[in-house]
Amino acid sequence: MTTAVTIPKSGGSGERSAVAARARQVTKSYGTTEDTRVVALDAVDVDIARSGFTAIMGPSGSGKSTLMHCLAGLDSVTSGQIWVGDTEITKLKDKKLTQLRRDQIGFIFQAFNLLPTLNALENITLPMDIAGRKPDREWLDRVIETVGLAGRLKHRPNQLSGGQQQRVAVARALAARPEIIFGDEPTGNLDSRAGAEVLGFLRRSVDELGQTIVIVTHDPVAASYADRVIYLADGRIVDDMANPTADSVLERMKSFDARGRVS
Amino acid sequence: MTVFKTSMRNFVAHKGRMVLSAVAVLLSVAFVCGTLVFTDTMTATFDKLFASTASDVSVSAKKVDDAQETGKPETVPASLLAKLQQTAGVQQVETQVVSDKITVVNSKNENVGSKTGAPTIAINWDERDSKKSVELTSGHAPRGPTESLIDADTAAKKDLKIGDSLRVIATPGDFSTRIVGIATFKTTNPGAALIYLDTPTAQSKLLGTTDAYTNFGLTAKSGVSDAQLKKDVTAAVGTDYKIQTAAEANAEAKDDIGSFLNPMKYVMLGFAFISVIVGIFLIINTFSMLVAQRTREIGLMRAIGSSRKQINRSVLFEALMLGVLGSVLGIGGGIGLAILLMKLMGKLGMHLDTSELTIKATTPVIGLAIGVIVTVVAAMLPARRAGKISPMAAMRDAGTPADGKAGKVRATIGVLVALAGGAALVAAGKADKASQGSSFLGFGVLLTLIGFVIVGPLLAGVLVRALSTVSLRFFGPVGRLAERNALRNPRRTGATASALMIGLALVAGLSVVGTSMVASATDQLDKSVGADFILQTDNQQPLSPSLAKAIHSAGHLEHVTDYTGTNAKLTTPDGKVSTKQLTAASPTYARDLRVEAVQGKLSDAYGDNSMSVNEGFATDHGIKIGSELTVAFVGGETAKLKVAAITSDDTTFDKGAMYTNIATAKRFLPADKFPPNQIMFAKAVDGQAKEAAASLKEAVKDYPQLTVRDQTDYKDLIKSQVNQLLYMIYGLLGLAIVVAILGVVNTLALSVVERTREIGLMRAIGMSRRQLRRMVRLESVVIALFGALVGLGLGMGWGISAQRLMATVGFGVLEIPWGTIIIVFFGSALVGLVAALVPAFRAGRMNVLNAIASD
Repeated sequence: MTTAVTIPKSGGSGERSAVAARARQVTKSYGTTEDTRVVALDAVDVDIARSGFTAIMGPSGSGKSTLMHCLAGLDSVTSGQIWVGDTEITKLKDKKLTQLRRDQIGFIFQAFNLLPTLNALENITLPMDIAGRKPDREWLDRVIETVGLAGRLKHRPNQLSGGQQQRVAVARALAARPEIIFGDEPTGNLDSRAGAEVLGFLRRSVDELGQTIVIVTHDPVAASYADRVIYLADGRIVDDMANPTADSVLERMKSFDARGRVS
Repeated sequence: MTVFKTSMRNFVAHKGRMVLSAVAVLLSVAFVCGTLVFTDTMTATFDKLFASTASDVSVSAKKVDDAQETGKPETVPASLLAKLQQTAGVQQVETQVVSDKITVVNSKNENVGSKTGAPTIAINWDERDSKKSVELTSGHAPRGPTESLIDADTAAKKDLKIGDSLRVIATPGDFSTRIVGIATFKTTNPGAALIYLDTPTAQSKLLGTTDAYTNFGLTAKSGVSDAQLKKDVTAAVGTDYKIQTAAEANAEAKDDIGSFLNPMKYVMLGFAFISVIVGIFLIINTFSMLVAQRTREIGLMRAIGSSRKQINRSVLFEALMLGVLGSVLGIGGGIGLAILLMKLMGKLGMHLDTSELTIKATTPVIGLAIGVIVTVVAAMLPARRAGKISPMAAMRDAGTPADGKAGKVRATIGVLVALAGGAALVAAGKADKASQGSSFLGFGVLLTLIGFVIVGPLLAGVLVRALSTVSLRFFGPVGRLAERNALRNPRRTGATASALMIGLALVAGLSVVGTSMVASATDQLDKSVGADFILQTDNQQPLSPSLAKAIHSAGHLEHVTDYTGTNAKLTTPDGKVSTKQLTAASPTYARDLRVEAVQGKLSDAYGDNSMSVNEGFATDHGIKIGSELTVAFVGGETAKLKVAAITSDDTTFDKGAMYTNIATAKRFLPADKFPPNQIMFAKAVDGQAKEAAASLKEAVKDYPQLTVRDQTDYKDLIKSQVNQLLYMIYGLLGLAIVVAILGVVNTLALSVVERTREIGLMRAIGMSRRQLRRMVRLESVVIALFGALVGLGLGMGWGISAQRLMATVGFGVLEIPWGTIIIVFFGSALVGLVAALVPAFRAGRMNVLNAIASD
């Protein structure tokens, strides 16, 4: 199975589509000669549902991070096409890509999410500042309220705990109301309690604010917060699971592991 | 051993980051070595020249310190010739006539001599003289009163050919001559213009008598040593003459050259010193940043058992390698610099042969020692800091290094030192005596500099914020990020800016002093100079009698003032004898230069057998109005002159001068001993200034060495003389600023590397390359502006203190060159932009994915 196209694109013009991002036959390979060629993504088709929470899983080297980077316009593809909203991004130049990231995409990384010289609030509004836009005050307050940072806005990152830092990162991603938020192991550096907190905020932002979120993770618990889990192995999508639980995810991973060992 | 291995690997791995520090070491060492090689080569070249041209023994007139400056060379009587020829041990006697008190002009009345201060020398052409520095290369030797040779370099420069006619302006009178041959230098041409005449012509036209020579050159018979010959000659002619062996003459000439070269040498070494100091900041910064970036790695080394000492040593070892590399390249660079300087001298007319490049064994040793010591000493602080890194650092998140905060102790020490320096500067400004004040000034400059360097990080916190408020805030969030970046490590910002600060402080200080000097002189000129025209030669030669006569013949003039100095021994009422130069001038001089008389009337000093003295001299020797001084004119008679006026010492021009009427002086000094005018003044008939100027210029058109200047021209002259000095100093300080720019580039480049992750993050969340580059540029600009602000402020403080000190010697007007200061301030913003070019470009090119990939 190399495709995870499950949602039909709605046809009507001017209508908001149900798909936030699409990838068609996306291939990413490194190396020039046949011998050194490594295929990170192998003709992947995927649709990311709007207002949904998607988790991408897979063993190390499966291409899950590469897929996310390509979807987010951080990395270029060797072939294939990617749409974010209605924009085809694979042919865009750096300038347009930067604008796209600024205006339509939010990021949460595993660590080093915040600029040490800026306080929490400044970090949250940074993407809008860079774009020269005024943040929507009401929305901003709601986001800050949601992630529970109201008392810590003037703190510098080094005065915040790891969990708080990640919450600031979530708030930053949410504040600009992007098309999609991408998270690269957003809870990878946190203990289980802080991780649960952050994941809870992500879940709520999907449910209450209608945000589209895609995270890469190898933690079954993190994946269980998602609406849907996509499994990658050797650059291909090998499974697609709806409404996962931690147990069902773990089961599925075990079976892949076993399969991997026999093959 | 492993420690050294890791050091070595680190050095190689980070060689890119070391490049700029190496350049700083290179520049410092190159400057030191270049100076040494250049001066050694000059000295060697001149030694050779002197050795090849000195006679075994020479006999010349004894130098008399207080001899009248008659515009003619000192001579020895021709009658000595026979005596010398008969002296035992003498093989041959050459008679020499040499004068450098001449001006030579071509048929278009253009001066053919050097305009850079090298002399024009007329010499007799003696066929037998084997020690000549030139040889005849075309034409024939001069014969008779109208023939001459000139040197090939001058001929080439001024486009002179055999058959051209020249006019020689000498004190005994002008004369015309025709070029009949060209002589070429056998060794280095020191830059002089030479003209050769036959011996009788040289005697009569240069000395005014055929009965004398300037000196005799003696060749010893074989087997007779120079010392023996000197003894024999001394026995034969007595001790009234200066009798020197070749070795003694060489030593004397060498001393002369030394006193000419030494100031140059010390100035250049001074600038080498500045670039060394600036380089130290750069090296400290580089190593601090390398250590900071390697914190985790060092923590790991500590965790697995490296001792503090080993860590410390490994950093120092890296510094050692950098020092050696930079020094070796610097020594090479220094030799290149010396060759460049020699080529430059060639442009100024002194042809130095690069094949005679002299590199003493001590030169590379000194260069290497300076480079290595400076680098290692500079790296000591960062090395200590590296040693203090705890093993825990390996476990911690590396990320960006913790923000460095300036400590309280440091602040206190810095402020105290700066205050002490400030107090010394104030003391210097208030000092009555220049000598005492200048040591205060020196201390003040040094202490304030050190103090400001120490408090630099603190100042950075305050000033960068202030500067950002007025400049960076216009750039929105990018400006704010740049400001925060500049502020995040005040120590680093402080050290980076310090390098620029030193250079600019010197520039500001010197320009305040220079401008104030010009302003003071101009002010004095306005206040005290009444003459409309100031008539002076450009080559420091006195005005020959023929020239003076020409000036007197000009029309539309109310008066013309003669002015010269006569040496005399003064016996004062307290019984003491002092040798002084008495200014002998026309009475109209009292109106040309209105020196204030504190007692009596200045015009009375020009009365019959009268004179004036200055206040200081009067106080020291108990002189009052009406005191009678015994004045023994050197080479003339003794007169009793009555003091009719006492002049103020508070003046820039003619400070300490004593005046008497030129007619009085002439009565006691024979005409052949009377010095020609040094300078002349003239005043136009009211309302006829234009006509007078035209008439004067017409009258002196045959004398290109003389420039007619009105007061405006004279002010311009003073200004251009001071500016020339300033430009030279600015040029050399440029080097310090280049090193400072390297420092800014270095800091930014390393910061960009250090902030790889942050840059990646900013790019990921939508910062464009342009915004990123602008951010780096703005950070650079604000650091540069900070350095400029502190440096210029400090420099102005130095300048004001120095000016107050100079007020005690008559430069009473303070003028701050705001134009220059403002231009330099904004220029430093440009410096910041230039310094940020490469780092900004690199930041923009950084791969977003590499930057954010988690390890």
